[in-house]
Amino acid sequence: MDSVGFVLTGKNTDFPNPIMAFERTIHNDHELSDDQLLDRLRQSDQQAMAQVFDRYGGMVYSVALRVLKDPGQAEDVMQEVFFQLWKKPDGFVEGRGSLAGWLLVLARNRAIDQVRRRKPTDSPEDVVLASKTNLASETERNLMMQKVRGILKDLPLEQQKSLELAYFEGLSHSEIAERTGDPLGTVKTRIRLALIGLRKALA
Amino acid sequence: MNAQEHISPEDLALHALGSLPEAESAAASAHLAQCAECREQLAEFSGDVAMIGLSMPQHPLPAGARQRFLDRVAADAYSSRPAPEEKKPQEEKPLPERQASQEEKTLPEVKKPAEEKKAKVVKFPLGAIVPWAIAAGLAFFAYTLNGKIATLNDQVRDESGKVTALKAETAQAERVLDVLTSPSAQRVLLTASKTAPQPSGRAIYIAETGSLLFQANNLKPIADDKTYELWVIPVNGSAIPAGLFRPDATGSASVLLPAIPAGVEAKAFGVTIEKAEGSDTPTAPIVLAGAAAAAAGE
Repeated sequence: MDSVGFVLTGKNTDFPNPIMAFERTIHNDHELSDDQLLDRLRQSDQQAMAQVFDRYGGMVYSVALRVLKDPGQAEDVMQEVFFQLWKKPDGFVEGRGSLAGWLLVLARNRAIDQVRRRKPTDSPEDVVLASKTNLASETERNLMMQKVRGILKDLPLEQQKSLELAYFEGLSHSEIAERTGDPLGTVKTRIRLALIGLRKALA
Repeated sequence: MNAQEHISPEDLALHALGSLPEAESAAASAHLAQCAECREQLAEFSGDVAMIGLSMPQHPLPAGARQRFLDRVAADAYSSRPAPEEKKPQEEKPLPERQASQEEKTLPEVKKPAEEKKAKVVKFPLGAIVPWAIAAGLAFFAYTLNGKIATLNDQVRDESGKVTALKAETAQAERVLDVLTSPSAQRVLLTASKTAPQPSGRAIYIAETGSLLFQANNLKPIADDKTYELWVIPVNGSAIPAGLFRPDATGSASVLLPAIPAGVEAKAFGVTIEKAEGSDTPTAPIVLAGAAAAAAGE
């Protein structure tokens, strides 16, 4: 590994963006892939944990916050999700989807468990994702965020509504049917179509 | 649902969202355990669900959240080290306070059945009152007992927390002494990189165990949204963050045994000013710096 050394050139300002941009330029030289970071996590490398946290913390926190609507509780969920990864990095099985997707699913599920005041409904090992979209780079993440937002916005309104009630409130299909006044079968179909619509648009 | 009958795509989509009612969800899980085809489809839907998470508006983390998490990781790493008489206190780490307080909030709900039973007693004729009164008495006794148990549990938790904290403090103090007195410790003097002679720092470091002590004097005061950050500059690789610190009123500050990897041979140490939550990479300018080789054996 080439040494960056300690003598750095760069502007130290009070504005976060130039600093972050500056940090990124240094960081990119040594950017590790998710798999490399996971290897280090298995050896209890705290620096690797910090890097994973820096990479995905904001994303995980934002999902938990959207579901729980409380910064304190959202932070608790975020901590639990990352601490679980720290304690059991093998809970995420390589080849079962992307680390980012796995963290997002766990964060959302833990947040819903809390909203619904129930015990965790699944174990991390059970979460298997087909999607392997690599979200390790910030640019890739930002692009994908914009893309997903656009796709969801373009879904038929009733599909959006059903999906939102299921995803953000953790409602069962019968609860959604009660809430919207639609027949059960219709709710089920809408949710399936919404997910497949998203998948196709991302393909 | 039997093993031969596949789960409908609708139900798989709901299962991926956790939106199947409990009974159906259990049946689906049983089928999934045996059916690779359905598992594959479920993974597709779960992948879709994961992507929805990306549509969230992104919020900055609460102030200090990163440090709180990394502190927890560092504490866990420290307590998980193989050491004599060390149990694993972190595994029993109490839930975050907020969760605990939520559990407490649910307690009155648990007690409801007992209260309902008492209310019903009044409606029964006199002959039936005695057994019901006994039941109500027992229910009330159980209610009171529950309260006592909860209080005692709290006390036990509190006490065991104190013991854990004391053990950690003792272990920490022992390590500090070891580093201070070890003949193999590197002792490095850090001085201001430019002409001003006042600010200075001293780092004492044992690479083998990743033990580092740092003490600085005459530091300039720092803005609230900034922090001083100490760095280990390894012989190979990029700078390793080694703790955040703020000077006291006299300009003094110290960093004791920050969580850094063991076995890293250091060529230098440095201090920079970073944003309040710290940074993974040093930001210029360097406030203090010292080369390990020059000061070794001092």
